Amino acid sequence: MSLLAFGGGAEDGSSSDTEPDALIDFTAMLMERKHECNGGWFSCGSKLQSQSHEDHGYYLGQYVLGVLDFSSQYGIDYSISYTAANVIGRPTKFPAYGDYPETFTMRTYGDWWQLAPSATQEIQAQNLPSLPTHDFIVVYFEKFVVPTEVAIFETFNPGGVVRIWAYSITKRWTCLWEAKPSDLNQVPHDSRRFAPPLKKTNIITKTLRIDFNHSRLNYYTEIDAIMLCGRTVPMRCMHQLLAPVGKRLGNTGEESGNGPIICKLRTLKFQPSCQANDAVKLHEFINNDLSKFLMDSHVESEQQKHNSTTEICLTDLPCEILLKILSYLDLKSLFRMGQVSHLFYDISTHPLLYCDLSLKSYWQLANSELLCTLARRATMLRKLDLSWCGGFGEISPTEFKKFLTQRGDNMTHLRLNSCKFLNASCIETVGIVCDNLIELSLRNCTTNPPLLNFSCLANLKNLERLDLFQTAFESELLLSMLESNRKLKHLNLAFCGVSVNMDNVATHLATYNTQLVSLDMWKAHFLSARGLQSLSRCQQLEELDLGWCMREATLGDSLYQLLFNCPKLKKLFLSAMRGITERDLMHIATLGKNLEQLDLMGILNITHERVYDILVHCSKLKLLDLCFCDNFMDRDFDVIADWSRLFNVDIKNSRIYNSR
Amino acid sequence: MNDYLDNARRNIQRAMNSSYHSLTEAASMAGTLATSTGFQVLSRLMGLKVQVMPTSESPPNSPTPSTAELDLQSTTTFTPDQIRLVSVVCGFPKDIAMYPDYVKGQFGEDAWFRTSTSKADALGVADGVGGWRVYGIDPGHFSRFLMRSCERLAHSADFESTRPEQLLARAYCNLLEQKQPILGSCTACVLTLNRESGILYAANIGDSGLLIIRDGAIVCRSLEQQHHFNTPYQLAVPPPGQGLNVLTDGPECAALLEFDMQPGDILILATDGVYDNVSEELLLQVLSHAAGVTDPVKLQMYANSVALMARSLSFNPNHESPFTQNARRHNIDAPGGKPDDITVVLASVV
Repeated sequence: MSLLAFGGGAEDGSSSDTEPDALIDFTAMLMERKHECNGGWFSCGSKLQSQSHEDHGYYLGQYVLGVLDFSSQYGIDYSISYTAANVIGRPTKFPAYGDYPETFTMRTYGDWWQLAPSATQEIQAQNLPSLPTHDFIVVYFEKFVVPTEVAIFETFNPGGVVRIWAYSITKRWTCLWEAKPSDLNQVPHDSRRFAPPLKKTNIITKTLRIDFNHSRLNYYTEIDAIMLCGRTVPMRCMHQLLAPVGKRLGNTGEESGNGPIICKLRTLKFQPSCQANDAVKLHEFINNDLSKFLMDSHVESEQQKHNSTTEICLTDLPCEILLKILSYLDLKSLFRMGQVSHLFYDISTHPLLYCDLSLKSYWQLANSELLCTLARRATMLRKLDLSWCGGFGEISPTEFKKFLTQRGDNMTHLRLNSCKFLNASCIETVGIVCDNLIELSLRNCTTNPPLLNFSCLANLKNLERLDLFQTAFESELLLSMLESNRKLKHLNLAFCGVSVNMDNVATHLATYNTQLVSLDMWKAHFLSARGLQSLSRCQQLEELDLGWCMREATLGDSLYQLLFNCPKLKKLFLSAMRGITERDLMHIATLGKNLEQLDLMGILNITHERVYDILVHCSKLKLLDLCFCDNFMDRDFDVIADWSRLFNVDIKNSRIYNSR
Repeated sequence: MNDYLDNARRNIQRAMNSSYHSLTEAASMAGTLATSTGFQVLSRLMGLKVQVMPTSESPPNSPTPSTAELDLQSTTTFTPDQIRLVSVVCGFPKDIAMYPDYVKGQFGEDAWFRTSTSKADALGVADGVGGWRVYGIDPGHFSRFLMRSCERLAHSADFESTRPEQLLARAYCNLLEQKQPILGSCTACVLTLNRESGILYAANIGDSGLLIIRDGAIVCRSLEQQHHFNTPYQLAVPPPGQGLNVLTDGPECAALLEFDMQPGDILILATDGVYDNVSEELLLQVLSHAAGVTDPVKLQMYANSVALMARSLSFNPNHESPFTQNARRHNIDAPGGKPDDITVVLASVV
C-alpha cells in the first residue's frame, strides 16, 4: 500500500508544485500517534499520522474519517453491508473486483429508473450540466490539506464519478475536477484507483463531495475507499494562503485579468495601455482610451452597417418573445442577463420566468440572500426544487419559512431532498401554506425524532406524488395522509425504517388509494403475504418495488393474485424475496405481459426453464436481473449471453467471483 | 482416574514449558538480528501485530497446533488506570483432515473474533451447527460471517460498549442483508469490556460460554441455554420455505450478564467443545496459575494447554466427561469424550 508520506515541505507559501523530497521521515512520524491502530504499521484504522512540524507542512495521504451526507445507498442504515459507512478507512477489498458487501453502493444504476413509470421530470432542466449528478456523498478527513490528489478506489463497475468538490476553510465549495463526456468512455472493466488530475488550487480543505452519474453504468458501481492527498498547512502559512489570488500570482497587467472585456478588447486589436494596478485600470481606460476605442469601433460598425440588411436589435422584439427566448436560459445566465441594462433587468426579473425554480444545480451557491432575491421575483411560483442546498447552514430555516409563506400558496411541486436546514416548523409551514401541492419530495430526512410527525402535513389533500425515500416518519402521519390523498399515484417508502408496518400501509393503500401507479417499498419491513394480497386491489399499478421486503416469508397465493389483478405492471422488483417458488416464476411468465423491468436478484429456486419461459412470454422485457441466483449460475454464462442477444434483453448476472 | 488426568496434565505442561523456552529463545534471536533502531521502532509503534510462527518446535505429543498470534500493545496507548484485556486464541477443528490449514477467525465450524476500539475490548465465539452439512450448507460460513460482522460493527460509530446483545443483533441482521444468501445456524457468545468502568458485559445464546476465574476460583459463569439435550439455543437463517421446520432463536433470547473485572482476573471464552470435555475443576487447576500473566506468549501456552487437553480428552473413550455426566442425567449412555471443534479464547485482565 502506498501511504504517501514525503518528508520536508515548502518553507513558506510558495507554489504547491514543488517536488517533495523522497526521504521518508519515520522518526518524526512516530512521535505523534494520537489514536491506536488496529492492524500493523501499514494498516492503520483510518488515516496515516504525520508530524505537524511547526515550520513546514508535510505531504500526506489520508483515508475517510467519517461520512457527513449521502444521497442514497443500497443497504440499510443499521447494517454495514453496501452502506455509505463502508467508505470510511482503508480499502477492504481493493484490488479485488466484484460485488462485495464491504463497499459503498448506491441505489440506482444506468438509465432504468428514468425509464420506469415513477420517473420524474427535472424542474428547470436547463440548469443541469451536461453530466447531471444523480448521487453524491460528502466525506470528511482528519487533517486540513491543500489537495494535490484525490484517489477513489472503485471495486465494481468503475466510471461513475463525475465531479469532485472540496469545501475550503473559507466556507466555499470549489470544484476540483469535472468529467468530460469523453472521460466516461474508456473505462476498464476492472477495479481501479481513480485519481483524476485536479485543478491547481490553494484552498485548504478536509471535506470532499463526490458526485456520481450512473447513466453509462452497466450495473451498480461500488466504492471501497477515498483517499485525500495533499500538503498539510501549518498555522503560520494559513494567512498567506488565504490572501487573494490576484496578489499571490504576482501579475502583470496583461495576465491578471482574463475577463470578458479584456478578451473582447484584444480581439479588436486594441491594446489598452493600463497600469499594473487593477483598481485604477478601468478608470484610466475610460479617461484615456475610451474615446479612441469608440472611434475604432465606430468605424467597424459602419462597415457592419453595409453588410447587414436590417437593423433590428434584440430590444426591438416584443416582450413576450423576449420572455420566451429567456425562458430557455439557465438561472445563472438569467441573472447575468439582468446585469446588462435596465431593460434586460426588467425582462429577466419578470415573474413568468420564475414559475419553475430549481437551485439543485447551484447547491454550492444557494444561501439565504439568494432565496430572498428570488422571493421578490417569483410571485407566480409553481415548482420549486431546493434539493441538496443549505448543507452547511447557508440557508436559515426562518428565511425558508418566509419564502414559503410569501410564495408557497400556488405551489404544485416541492422538492426538498437532502435539505439539512429543515426543521419541524419548516415542515409545518409546508403543511399549512402549500395546500395545492401535487408533488412533495422529502428524501433523506432522517432526523431523530422524525421531522414528519403527528399531523403536520394533514392539510395536503391533492397529492399525486409523495417521495419519502430514506426519510423517517411516523406511521400515523403516513396513514392519515394516505386517507386524505385519494388521488395518490406515486408513493416511495424505501428505507422507511423498522417502525413502519408495511402490512398496515398496504391495507390502507388498498382501501383509499386504488389509483396508485407506482409503489416503492425497498427494504421496508413486515410485509407479509397478506399485505401483498391487499396490494392487488390497486389495479392501476405499473411499478412495484418489493426488493428485500419480504425475505424468507412464504408468499402463498399472493404474488399470483397481484399479477392477475394488476395486468399493467411494467416494473417489478423482487430482489432477495427468497420465498418465491417455481410456481410464482411460472405465473410471472404467463401473467406479466407488459413487464419491462424485472429484478430477480438472489432468488434461489430459479432454473433454466423458468428463465427461458419468462424471456419467451414477456415480449416487452428490457431488463432482467439474475445476479446471485446461485442455483442458476452454476451453468455456463454463454447461455445467458446468447439469450440476451436473442431476446434483446439486458440480463445482469454478476456474482462474487472468489470462493468463500 | 484423577491420577491419569494429573499425569496427562503434567506431561502436557512439561511439553508446553520446554517449547515455551525454545520459543522465547527464537524470539530473542530474532530480536538481536534486527537492528536496535529497528527494534525501537517496532516497540514504539502502537497496536503492532506480529505473526510469530512457532518455528520447528511443535510440542511433541500433539497434532500441529494453530499459529499463535501475539499482540504487542504498547502501554503508552492507554492510561495506566484503565483496565484492558490481553487475549490469545487457540483451537482445533474436529476433523483436521477437512481443515488442514490455519485460517484466522475459524476452527472448523467454530468461529471467533477479537478486536479493540478506543473505548472497549470485544471478544466473541460462535459454534456452527454441523447438521446443516447434510443439506449442502457449509455450517462454518454462518458462524464465520457472524463473527466477522461483529468485528466490523464494533468499529462503527454507534457501537455501544455496554450492549453486546445489540452488537449480536446487528450482526445477525447484517447476515440477512447479504445478496449472497447465508444459511445455517450457530450458537454465539459475545463479550465487551468497557475500559473506563472495568465492567464486562456479555451476551450468550446457546451452549458456548465464558468463565471468569479469580484467585483460583470461578467467580462468574455464563448461563447455558438448551432446548433439549444437545440442542442449544441458536441463531439461524433457515432456507426459504423451511422457516417452520427449523429451530430459530432470535437475538432477543440472549442471556445477558454484567460483571466487575479486576486486574488479575482470567477470562476464558470457549465453545462447547471445551466445556463438554474438560470439567471445571480441571480448568481451574490449569488456569489458576495464569492469573496476572501479562506476557502474551506465556498466556498462549495456557490457552494451548487447555485446547490440547480438550482435544485429547474428546477422543478418549474412557474419559468421564461432563458430556457423559449430563447425558446420564437424561438417561442417555454416551461414554467417553465428545469430539467437537474446540475454540479457546483466553484473556487476562491487566
